[in-house]
Amino acid sequence: MDLRFTEAQEILRKMARDFLATECPKTLVRELEQSDKGYSPELWKKMSELGWMGLIIPEEYDGMGYSFQDLTVLMEEIGRNILPGPLVPTIISTFPILEAGTEDQKKEFLPKIAQGKLILTTALLEADGTFNASGIATKATPKGDDFVINGTKLFVEMAHVADYLICVTRTKDGSPAEKGITLFIADNKSPGIRCEVIPTMAADKECEVRFESVAVPKKNMLGKLDGGWPIVETLLRKGSIVKCAESVGALQTCVEMTVAYSKERVQYDRPIGAFQALQHIMADMWTAMETSRYLVYEVAWMESEGLPCAKEASMAKAYVNEVYKNVSKWAVRLHGGIATSYDHDIPLYYRRSKAADSAFGGTDFHRELVAQKIGLA
Amino acid sequence: MDFELTDEQKARRKEFFDVCRELEKKKPPSLVGIEAVFADDDCWEFHLHCAKEFAKRGWLTLAWPSQYGGTGTMMDRVLFAEARGYHGIPGVDIFGVQMLAPTLLQAASEEIKKEFLPPIARAEVSWCELWSEPNAGSDLAILSTTAIKKGDEYIINGQKTWNSGAHRADWGFGVFKTDPNARKHHNLSFLLLDMKTPGITVRPIPYMDRGTPFCEVYFDDVHVPAKNIVGQENEGWAVVNTLAGFERSSLTEIMSLVRALEELVKFCNETKRNGQPLAKDPVIRNRVAQLACELEAARALAYRVADLQNRNEMALMDASAVKIFSSELGERFAFTVTDILGPYGQVSSSRWSPMQGEWEKMYQECFVTTISMGTNEIQRNIIAWYGLGLPRMK
Repeated sequence: MDLRFTEAQEILRKMARDFLATECPKTLVRELEQSDKGYSPELWKKMSELGWMGLIIPEEYDGMGYSFQDLTVLMEEIGRNILPGPLVPTIISTFPILEAGTEDQKKEFLPKIAQGKLILTTALLEADGTFNASGIATKATPKGDDFVINGTKLFVEMAHVADYLICVTRTKDGSPAEKGITLFIADNKSPGIRCEVIPTMAADKECEVRFESVAVPKKNMLGKLDGGWPIVETLLRKGSIVKCAESVGALQTCVEMTVAYSKERVQYDRPIGAFQALQHIMADMWTAMETSRYLVYEVAWMESEGLPCAKEASMAKAYVNEVYKNVSKWAVRLHGGIATSYDHDIPLYYRRSKAADSAFGGTDFHRELVAQKIGLA
Repeated sequence: MDFELTDEQKARRKEFFDVCRELEKKKPPSLVGIEAVFADDDCWEFHLHCAKEFAKRGWLTLAWPSQYGGTGTMMDRVLFAEARGYHGIPGVDIFGVQMLAPTLLQAASEEIKKEFLPPIARAEVSWCELWSEPNAGSDLAILSTTAIKKGDEYIINGQKTWNSGAHRADWGFGVFKTDPNARKHHNLSFLLLDMKTPGITVRPIPYMDRGTPFCEVYFDDVHVPAKNIVGQENEGWAVVNTLAGFERSSLTEIMSLVRALEELVKFCNETKRNGQPLAKDPVIRNRVAQLACELEAARALAYRVADLQNRNEMALMDASAVKIFSSELGERFAFTVTDILGPYGQVSSSRWSPMQGEWEKMYQECFVTTISMGTNEIQRNIIAWYGLGLPRMK
């Protein structure tokens, strides 16, 4: 047991921290929130030069061949700084290609992703908002050399600028719902796809994507026909861990900013950080952050080592969801009125705590998975 | 970053668990909670039996320097704590083995070490702690029980309180005022004393569940040899601070909750209400799952502390955080489980009580970990002042 980052991880962490601090200041974050695109192509290009899109893509596909654990180190820094745009959706969308892609598909997509030439995102959720297979109603029907997709996907992050969508469809009705799911890599320029940005709290460009008789070539089917749900489960698990790592970074900023402010802000002739009423809240914020941190590190290690960790990933997601919401809430409260303003940095985190919570399953969804996995009948 | 144990550690862990599993078969049913060993004769006998078993295997001296009979590593101590926690096995004298021995190793003279460490290693002597007083709790340094030097003895007068197991202990270690005129923190000394010394009166205090884990100890002209001092005269506060760093491992408590969760899941699967198992109730599923998530978080942080300690690094903030979190998780377990049990949650061990009445006990005993060993409020001060660098209360 050695719970320190490796030297290479420390280098990655420092490089990412310095880069993001310089290249993605909060002024840019707010600017991007209000822009149509929601990301900076210039920044995207610089990140591609650092190899971030290909961090976990094997070297044979032009990636950097880093481990999943290394990826969570980068994600923590991204969460710490905040980085709007399609980097995280693109990386998460490579998981299914890496896991289930054919050699041809890997050769076609992975090098371009690694080089920053493609933006990807995953189209999973639909109208009823559940992460269970029962929520997948978008139909894919075989026709000649194609499958024809009809339906509406929701909360698809950065779909409005994506080149390809990993689309989760229903190819067979009946029970159980998990048995009839198939994934496709759909070209976002295909005729019949229409995309609209949904206004969300974090202005993170979650989209509605409508498929109207969209033809996707059969060769773009990802994994087996009707056998796509296990790929989705892996995506949800890995996506949850990635989101948790991002949240741990965000927690660090919330705690640091609050502690620093409480040492500066003077009321009743002393820094407000001298009041125990506030000290104990900050101690609790720190404890919540630290428990989250090591829980997430543990799960990231398990995932990276290929150990079964569906239970632990759900535990982490359910736990960190609540911690991020609460700690960022307390960060606003302890700053007082100033942190309720749009121009303050703390609300950037508070608003993102809800986005992080929703992504890859909310607290109650994951608690139910935990209930099953600890053996409740 | 690597959470994996080495093959050697895995083998050690198995050895600890195997022995504790065997011991559990002889565990008295009244042994619930960490203070029960002091409250009940059967439990105390069982504790002494386990202590002898552990001493025989050299497990009371884990991570001691080899010249004092030490065996194993810090990590072994962690793994041993896990095994005892999971199986609910006492046998490690909290005060002698866990607190005093490491303090002596760090702060005592060679003479004291040679006299007092071997009986601790052999489980021949049980210790108690003589710290708190009626008017000195968290602010321990204002204590008023005096030990005035006269020739080659200290004469002690005053009263200590909340002394776990003092009625069963052979020896006690305590902090006393040796210079009533000196300034705070430079007027105290750390002394070791035989609890059979004339002038000592021990009175058990009935706990809210009518058990007697705690005592008051009265000193009336108690003569203690001056050579029984640890550290310098009037500089006992430094020894107190050293000892405070050797709290009981939170992993013992965390692993006892791991076991409790397993039992709870079993109970929910087997017990019907409204014609279906409790486990089918979505509210109960959600609440139990929440406990499971928090428990995993507590465990991960406890490993962080163990990892730091294993490398001899400071674990100040994390040690306080895991103490706060795991002890309050114990409270949440007690509240949640007694809720799930409905009216049975209030029933003491009897033919009506589910799970041996364990949770009726835990509902009352959860304070033992939140209040003792530095209250959770003091732990929050430690994080705020020494960790976050916030202004210290004068």
